[in-house]
Parts: sequence; structure tokens; C-alpha cells
Amino acid sequence: MRIITLACSLAALIVASPLSAQTLNVASAGDQNMVDYVKDYLGPMFEKAHPGVKVVSVGTGPGDSGSQKIYEKLDAQKGAATTDFDVVVIHQKAAGQMVKEGLLNKYTANVDTSKLVSSETAKNSLGADVSGYVMPMFQSQTALAYNADMLKNPPANFTELKEWVKKNPKQFGYNGIKGGMSGVAFVAGWVYAFGGDADKLIQGPYDAAEKAKWDKAFAELKEFNKNAVITPGNAGTLDMLNRGEIAMGPVWVDMFYSWQADGKLPPSMKLKLASPGMPGQPMYYAVPEKSAQKKLAEEFIALATSPQVQADGIVKKFNWYPGIDAKNLEGKLDKAAWDKLFTDITPAELAKNGKPFPIAPYFNDILEGYEKKVAN
Amino acid sequence: MSLSQRQLALLLIAPGLALVAALFLYPLCFSLISAFTGPQGGFSLQAFAKAYELYSGDILFTVIIVLASCLLTGLVATIIAGTLTLGENRFIVGTLKALYRWPLFIPFIVAAQCMRTFLAKNGLMNNSFVAMGLMEPLQAMSFLDWRGIIATFVWKQTPFVALLLAGALAALDRATLEAGRNLGASRLRVLVELALPQVMPQLLVALVLSFVTMLSVLSVPMMVAGSQPTMLTVDMAFRINAYGDYSTANALGVITYLISAGAAIIYLKRGMAQEGTR
Repeated sequence: MRIITLACSLAALIVASPLSAQTLNVASAGDQNMVDYVKDYLGPMFEKAHPGVKVVSVGTGPGDSGSQKIYEKLDAQKGAATTDFDVVVIHQKAAGQMVKEGLLNKYTANVDTSKLVSSETAKNSLGADVSGYVMPMFQSQTALAYNADMLKNPPANFTELKEWVKKNPKQFGYNGIKGGMSGVAFVAGWVYAFGGDADKLIQGPYDAAEKAKWDKAFAELKEFNKNAVITPGNAGTLDMLNRGEIAMGPVWVDMFYSWQADGKLPPSMKLKLASPGMPGQPMYYAVPEKSAQKKLAEEFIALATSPQVQADGIVKKFNWYPGIDAKNLEGKLDKAAWDKLFTDITPAELAKNGKPFPIAPYFNDILEGYEKKVAN
Repeated sequence: MSLSQRQLALLLIAPGLALVAALFLYPLCFSLISAFTGPQGGFSLQAFAKAYELYSGDILFTVIIVLASCLLTGLVATIIAGTLTLGENRFIVGTLKALYRWPLFIPFIVAAQCMRTFLAKNGLMNNSFVAMGLMEPLQAMSFLDWRGIIATFVWKQTPFVALLLAGALAALDRATLEAGRNLGASRLRVLVELALPQVMPQLLVALVLSFVTMLSVLSVPMMVAGSQPTMLTVDMAFRINAYGDYSTANALGVITYLISAGAAIIYLKRGMAQEGTR
């Protein structure tokens, strides 16, 4: 027994030695590209400015499940002196919960670039107050991608879309709600369009009676699904668009442009943000309450949200909309790169039809309503 | 103090037992308890009610998919193993021998990704048919639904079953088989009436193992087919990822245990019956 204790303390000593005290652990929920972004781009830049510091990037997987894993780890380490992660990159749904349970540190006042953030989502995350706890890494948006060769006048709103799908069966594809967030976004857009008051769903407060009003919308969606194709995932929708098997489908804007830049989608593909709009969401930078490297973490986030990095890394490299107010990027970005983001969806359209997801309880109601009344 | 034989044996298996307890029994009990716990704590069947309400279709879908895949796997594996043991054309047997094991080395997730481009409407398979003039482009249809899942499962599991079956067939006493051939039975008849009954237990073991494996695969239904309906593994993942709802996910897990227990019971019953006749 004594030997084991000794060995354990020795191991703990090695792990906690001053050498690794300068390690900054960054955990990202999201696709591999976000892990690589920290590993290949932000990390080396930060290490150069802070000699002796090593940035370690880990990924916990795409979608809300990635954030759920980060939440579970922080929750499990609640009683420990420090947690393994120093900076976390999380989705909206988990952020609200983590703030509520005291797992995050109120850090943004210590970071200068937080003054450049103006978006509503930096304060309100699906109805939960997160001001002071998070800074947006980027904003992402869903929209309908369509094949301009097959479709000259894309539907301008969801009612027209419904008609179009009826006339063109199996030409519209989306991934349901279990295959990724673009499908969830489409369903949320559907409820915004046909389920009554969209603003109420986005701003709250929660009223359990509200979901009774969605029955008709869900019944129509069930009917709509008969003429739609349920694709296997976000990438599945893009795959099918690329192979010409469907003419339209909801996708993430950044993924769309990245695929197009890689030549995985033909140039004839275009985007349309049909009214009343579809949801987008930010990913947040946050610092766990028990991070061992709070100061380094803040410096790291300051770098990541600085106008230059937002311009070069977020907009140019990944086609995301910046997390800080876009006007701060002026002069940092050439016009071509900036215009590319707004070719199909104009800034005015984005401002009008780029909606947040509904607040968390409505969000869950929509998902469960879909499972009960559409998928079952 | 000297240890008796018995104590020594216990001591030797202790590390293994501890591992099983910590890594298998503990999580198993944990998930069982969670499945039967209500939101306010205490015993409740609420999670099962929810699982039934939302996923009864998916439960049926899962059972049908896995059973159909097992049947097809058994059939294809029998054909392959039969050809390997009874085949007389050296070229065919040699080629088959070299080829049939390959899918064993391919993980499910890679198989799913391959099938995704292979079985799609404008995928490799349909395009090849069109190029060969066997099919008009307009006749092409997508197999990326339940058929895709079954195709992937059968493709992936057949070599495993065929491997076990071919081994068992090779170990049979050739004399009976050859006696059958000498008396004028066709090769098919020798396989079905003489060889297969003798290796039934091995075939059944292989199929039960395949059944349980297919029941637990997440990547294939996730990547090959859309989500309505889908298999229970996808529902479990969704329950946790979208709602953080472990109770219903665990209830679905318990339902999966029960389905696989069904397979195990059929297998055990058969084993016992055979023990009895000996």
C-alpha cells in the first residue's frame, strides 16, 4: 500500500512540476477544424508571444455532445483543486448551464477585446444570462444551399419552400434532428415560420402552454418530410448536393464556403436565407472557475479575439462571421475576403433573417415535439 | 500462514475479477439504477414510458434490421464456407480464400463511409451500372436507408461468420461427405443435409455474436441512413447529446440488453438441448 501511495504522489509531483505549470490546456467542442485551429494557428502564435508556455489543444467532438463532454468533465472535477482545462470552447446550450452551476469564471472584464463585442449572444445564451462569462469565438449561420443550375428562383420564404417541395418531390434534403445541427436549425426555422410568435421563442420567458400551438406546424412538417429526403448528417446533405441528388438543403454557411473553396462543391451552388430566417449560433470562449492558469487563459482569449486574428483566422481561414463587432475588422481584411462572406447573403439579410436558436426550454420542446409528432 | 490451493486460485483471479467489476459491473449497475430512477429520485418507470412513447418504432426497426442482417449474413457465409470446403474449382476456391476475409480488417466507421459513396443515388455502384449500360441513369435510386444499413452489416459480418463456419466445416469427417457424393448427392445437397446440421452450433454462435455486435454499432446507422426511423444506438446518443437525459438513454440501453439477452437465451437453450441428447 505504502509503495502505491508513494508512486502516486511521485506521479502527481511529476505532473504538477513547474515545467508543466506553463501548459495551457484548450478544450474545444466542435469539429476537428476547431481543434486544428488552436493547434496549428492560435497555439503557435501564443507560444511565440509567451516563451516557455505550451498550448495543448484537445477536441471533445462536434455538436452539443462535445460541449456536454466538457460540462461533464468540469462537473466531475468540481471538488478538485484545479480542473484539467484552462480554456474551453463551448456551444450555447452548455454555456448557460455551466454558468448556472458555477463552473465558469467571470473573466471578460479582464480582457480588453471584450469591449469590441457587441452581439446580443455574448450576454444571452438561449435565455441564460452569461454576460461576463463568455466571449464569442465566431458567429455561425445556417442557410439554404441550392443548385443554381437546377433552380433559378429559390424560394424567398418558408411558405414558398413548402410549395416548391410539393412540386419537386425528393429534391430537398435535410438531416432530421439527430444528424447534426443544420437539420435542427431548419426545424427551428420551420417553427419560427409556422408556429406563431418567433420572438417569444427567442427572447422568452418560457411558457409551457406555447408548445400546444405548434401541432399544426409539426403536422405540416410531417407532410413536408414525405417529399423531402432525410440525409445522413450535415456532410451528407452537402454530399448529396454535390452529386446532384438533391437541389436544395440547409447547411452551415462556413462549411458550405469551405467545401466550395476545396472544390468539393461546384461553383453553381448558392446560398439563400429564406424568411423568416434560420438560426445561427456562436461558439464561446470561456474559462473554467477552477482553471490553474487563469491569467494565461485570459491572455490567450485576448489574442484569439483581437481584430487581426479574427480577420485572418476566423473570417479568412474558416469563413465564419467574426465573434467581435465586424466594424473592428475594417482595414484588417481585404475587400475580396470580406465580400465573399456576403455574396449570397447580404449583411441586411443576415441582420434581418439571421436568428438565434430558441431559449433552452423551448429548444428542448421543439426537439421533443419533432420526435413525437414528426419522426414517430 | 500458508495459502491453500483454493485461496491461491482466488488470489490469482482477483485482478481480473476486480477489472470486470470496476469496468463492467459497476457501470452496468449504474445504468440499470439510472434507468429505473425518476427525475425526483426514487423508483420510477417514467424513462421506459418515454422510451416507448418516442422510440417504439425505432425498437422494432432495430430488431428487424439486425435479424434481417443476421439471416442474410448466415446465408452468404454458408455459401462462402460451403464453396471453400466442397468447391472443386481450384481457381474459384483460391480467389475466394484470398478475398473473403478482407472486410474483417475494416472498422465499421470506415465501412460506413465507403458505403456512403458506394450506395448513393449517383454513387459508385449506380454509376458503374450506368457506365456498363446495364441501367438508365434515371432508374438509379439511393440505397442510403435501411437497405444501406443491412448491406453494410452483412458485408462487414459475413467474413467473421464464414471464418468460424469454414473452420468447423474443415474439421468435419470428410468420409461422410464423400460417401454422400459417391451415392450421387449434389454438392448443394451434401452441404445442406450432411455438413450444415453438424456445424449448426458453430453457425449459431457466430450469428449470436454478430447479432450483439450489430446491435451496438452507432456509426453505421448514423452515417449510412437518415434518422427516421433509426437504430437505438443513435437514439441513445441523441438523448444524451441533445437533452443530457441519461435516464431515457439508459432505459433504451436496458431494452437493448433485453434484446441481446433474447439472442443469448435462444443460444443457451439450444446448447442445453444438445447437452441433454449426448
